[in-house]
Amino acid sequence: MTSRAETAGRQAVTRRREGTWIEAVLAHLVFAAVIVFFLAPFVWLVTAAFDADAQAYIRWPSQLTLDNFARVFTEHDFGRALGNSALVAGLTMLLDVVAVSLAGYSLSRMDLRFKSAITYGVLLLQTMPLSATMVPIYGLARAVGLRNSYLGLILIHAAIELPFLIWLMKGFFDSVPRYLEEAAWLDGRSKLRALVEVVLPVARNGIGVVAGLSFLAAWAEVLMVIILVDRQDMFTVPLAFYQVLRTRGGYTEVQYGMVAAMGVLYLVPVMVIFFATRRMMVRGLLSSARGL
Amino acid sequence: MARVEYDDVTKQFLGQQDRAAVDHLTLDVADGELLVLLGPSGCGKTTALRMLAGLEYPDSGDIRIDRRSVVGLEPKDRDVALVFQSYALYPHMSARDNIGYPLKVKRMTQAERDRRVARVAEMLSLGTLLDRRPARLSGGEQQRVALARAIVREPRVFLMDEPLSNLDAKLRTHTRTELKALQRQLATTTIFVTHDQAEAMTLADRIAVLDRGRLLQLGTPDELYNRPVSLFVAQFIGSPPMNILAAQVRDGALVAEGVWRLPLRRRVDAADVSVGIRPEAIALSEPASDAQPAEVLVSEPLGSETIVNVKLGNALVKVRAAPHVRPDAGATVHLRADPARMTLFDTKTGAALP
Repeated sequence: MTSRAETAGRQAVTRRREGTWIEAVLAHLVFAAVIVFFLAPFVWLVTAAFDADAQAYIRWPSQLTLDNFARVFTEHDFGRALGNSALVAGLTMLLDVVAVSLAGYSLSRMDLRFKSAITYGVLLLQTMPLSATMVPIYGLARAVGLRNSYLGLILIHAAIELPFLIWLMKGFFDSVPRYLEEAAWLDGRSKLRALVEVVLPVARNGIGVVAGLSFLAAWAEVLMVIILVDRQDMFTVPLAFYQVLRTRGGYTEVQYGMVAAMGVLYLVPVMVIFFATRRMMVRGLLSSARGL
Repeated sequence: MARVEYDDVTKQFLGQQDRAAVDHLTLDVADGELLVLLGPSGCGKTTALRMLAGLEYPDSGDIRIDRRSVVGLEPKDRDVALVFQSYALYPHMSARDNIGYPLKVKRMTQAERDRRVARVAEMLSLGTLLDRRPARLSGGEQQRVALARAIVREPRVFLMDEPLSNLDAKLRTHTRTELKALQRQLATTTIFVTHDQAEAMTLADRIAVLDRGRLLQLGTPDELYNRPVSLFVAQFIGSPPMNILAAQVRDGALVAEGVWRLPLRRRVDAADVSVGIRPEAIALSEPASDAQPAEVLVSEPLGSETIVNVKLGNALVKVRAAPHVRPDAGATVHLRADPARMTLFDTKTGAALP
């Protein structure tokens, strides 16, 4: 129940926040401009994907069609690319969750020698530009036979995101009280089982954030795929895009409808993951910010 | 059922090189006994407890349960249960699953688990709360669930780290009584950590008073109250605390605070001593040649008794008087101390004089 004093207080706050109508109109105009700017590409993507004769600018489809989607699968084997991306991103996510859980836990809890050096070393890795390591990664992958291999892609994608995710997860573990796992040890659990049964469930928002971010990063990554893959049947979605543009005679004869259809298909899993985990993400990111 | 021994145990934390958290602690807890580790915060009582649980490792010395060293054992292999100050309930499990967790760990069948959880829940009146998560339980209910989780395992030793300190005053007193009855009924060796002397006095079979990592005195509540070995113990135990007055030995008698002559029944070598007198060992009397006049500062009526605060020289003396005795501030009263209930301390070392 809300007391009258509280209600009055809240009204006072609201009143104080209200400005003049000019301020309100200006604020809305600015927001509208920003929204239009950021939303325009997506509007184009969706309208063009269903347009039988898509153009490079936004317009209502001349004739609504699903043809673009069908041709993407029949002419470009886009299903294969989607499958590759899903496989690579999914397994990257699994690997990251396991590795990050263990590494983050160690940095959060254990009395390691050189712990602070290790912790900041991890952060240093994150600041390295990825492109600087292209050549050695190519050489290494060729030497150990990880080119044109799912394993190679999964390993490198998992590794790229590891430093940041380890830091993130360390923050989550820091916010889980130590006495919870101590209670589990005393209840008879080994340290590993206590981690799995007590600490991880309590830090599940963190696991959700790590899983979401690592999947999305691997799903979007393109540089390493270019370096490590040249077999058509191994192409992931970003590379398939690139190929559509290239094989259709350069950039003059771009088939906008198909590109847009691919874009839509590429974005669907991202949206699904975002909406499925958005609460967890917000809660997780907020609590990790508090933990730092 | 177990006997616990601390044998010359020392533990120093990194970054605290100047003193040990626990300093050569030797302590023997009998089977079925409830021993309270009592001391101010930072005295090492919780560290001593955590070393027995296996959550900290001693630098030297040995800890034994039933004559077997547990120092090398993981917490999970020690068969001791710890009730944490914060209860440490698993937030993602219901009260039922929290209580049943140690049984699940032991791979007990579901039926057996249910049976035991139900029995403990009944013992602690948790029946209707079993399906709730900890976040939906009050502090007192969480405390009972934590207790149930410890009891259900039937461990060799109960460890309790200030389990009552997060409860409000009324609930704390109530739970204290229940806890004591429960411990008697189960007869499981229990080590209970607290900084609250009243809690220690009411619960304990014996109390170990710790300060700065050292064991100062080990004894029954009566022994600690009536025969404290040092000024620290004397002042730490009892509420209101023991009156400590500076005194000189003159012509075979004591003169406290320069004014109050007290009879001395034995020889004392030191010239300057501290005399400790419990508030109830001082009586307010009629004016007489052997009664010391003093000015009343304030009277505190507590219903069952009145604490009369009087000024004596520079010191404040608390006198426990009958409830109807309420001298006004500024009035003069006459004090008479029971010579049999005075304790003398060496002012320099703080040690009680024999």
